[in-house]
Amino acid sequence: MIEFNHVNKVYDNGSLALDDVSIHIEKGEFVLICGPSGAGKSTFIKLLSHEVVPDSGTVIVNDMEVSHLKKRKIPYLRRRLGIVFQDFRLLPNKTVAENIAFALEVIEEKPKVIKERVASVLEMVGLSHKANDLPQDLSGGEQQRVAIARAIVNKPLVLIADEPTGNLDPNTSKGIVELFKTINNSGTTIVMVTHDMEMVKYLNKRVIALEDGRVTSDRMRGAEFNEA
Amino acid sequence: MKLRTFRYFVKEALKSMTRNGLMTLASISTVALSLFILGVFTCGVVNLNNLASNLESQVEISIYMKDGLTTNQVMEVGKKLKALPKVKNIEFVNKDEAMKRFKERLGDQQGLVAALDGNNPLPSSYIITFEDPEEVKNTAKLVATFPEVESAHYGQDVIEQIFKMTQIIRIGGIALIAFLAGATLFIISNTIRLTVFARRKEIGIMKYVGATNWFIRWPFLIEGMLLGFIGGAIATACVWEFYHFITVEVENSLAFLPLVPMLPFFYDLSAILLGVGVLVGAIGSTISLKQYMKV
Repeated sequence: MIEFNHVNKVYDNGSLALDDVSIHIEKGEFVLICGPSGAGKSTFIKLLSHEVVPDSGTVIVNDMEVSHLKKRKIPYLRRRLGIVFQDFRLLPNKTVAENIAFALEVIEEKPKVIKERVASVLEMVGLSHKANDLPQDLSGGEQQRVAIARAIVNKPLVLIADEPTGNLDPNTSKGIVELFKTINNSGTTIVMVTHDMEMVKYLNKRVIALEDGRVTSDRMRGAEFNEA
Repeated sequence: MKLRTFRYFVKEALKSMTRNGLMTLASISTVALSLFILGVFTCGVVNLNNLASNLESQVEISIYMKDGLTTNQVMEVGKKLKALPKVKNIEFVNKDEAMKRFKERLGDQQGLVAALDGNNPLPSSYIITFEDPEEVKNTAKLVATFPEVESAHYGQDVIEQIFKMTQIIRIGGIALIAFLAGATLFIISNTIRLTVFARRKEIGIMKYVGATNWFIRWPFLIEGMLLGFIGGAIATACVWEFYHFITVEVENSLAFLPLVPMLPFFYDLSAILLGVGVLVGAIGSTISLKQYMKV
């Protein structure tokens, strides 16, 4: 599903982001990427969505060689990915339902399909009753649920989450993590970047630790993970 | 492109046009002003060309005789002229006839004749008509070398003057239009930049959920093209009014000047102005998209 083979990335300003990183993630896995800031976590995600390209090595997502993707094919790669951010990134002047529908509108999905899918993901994230509210009227946790709904509405193969609980209190975070688990159980591969050790232990899933651009550990059980 | 998608693009374009109302107004007026000037210059050049080709098809030479020649000498010249090839007709105009024609042409400004105090400074002349305009230029040159002849005039004399004038108007017009095009591009790309800025969040999300680059670009392109089109339409209307005004003025006071009639001409002119407007709008937004939206 996701394959990093000896990936190197140095930014133009000379800072080393990834140094000979090789990672394999199978379909249906739930993987946490953790490490201190500047360890290369964001670069990892940006490589997946082709926001940056590696200097050397290959990145393969869903059998697509991402590193040498033609420019006009990038949107089609991104349609196979769902991305959730720490800061939600909802459109303030659109309602919850419109925010989710937007993801389908811009890929020219049929209105009938949009309506059905929006209703079904709203139910999944438990916000059917807030479909017509504006983001500003929702709590942080609810806003993140909307963002997750938007990320999964086009049925991505991989859901990528960049510190999805970074702005949320511990209780709300647990709810969000449970939602990710539900999505994972339905077959979607999940890659989540976090530095929240509580959550790593709570989830007890595969953890890949990055530090200074290198993979320092890769364990199948988060509960055994210790910040060395 | 699906109709539904196209409608979405136009809706987005109109939305941002009203959102940045002042900039929209500024861009439209800049486009309109530039295209108005382009239109006026085009009218000028087209009319001068028209005048030139009118004169070019004239097959007449006026040959002005020197003063104080004997009747015999004048007759002698007449014989030589008759011997020229492809001459269709030769008419002799003596001094009195020349004065009569001059008076006719003056119309209500007879005061000018009175100022002459009974003197007649007008020369006698031959007017030769040729079968085709080819012969005119060389013949005029030849005739001008006759010792009895003061000068020989024909349409092409004036044509050269007109060409010089057309050239000046063209160069001046091109310089001015280039400058205005720059200003227009600048202001349109600025307007689009504001739109891009206002929508940067949406654009970011569109990119992440896999909207194609063209899907993201179209609303901005349409906005730019609409700005150009509206500006072009205003310019066309203004040039129309302007040309109409000039036509009426010319008919009243300079009836002999052959202006290009408005109608078939304005079909082309409005197409040019609207086309250039849309093109400038599209280029302006493309500049902005390149600079501010890395899609």
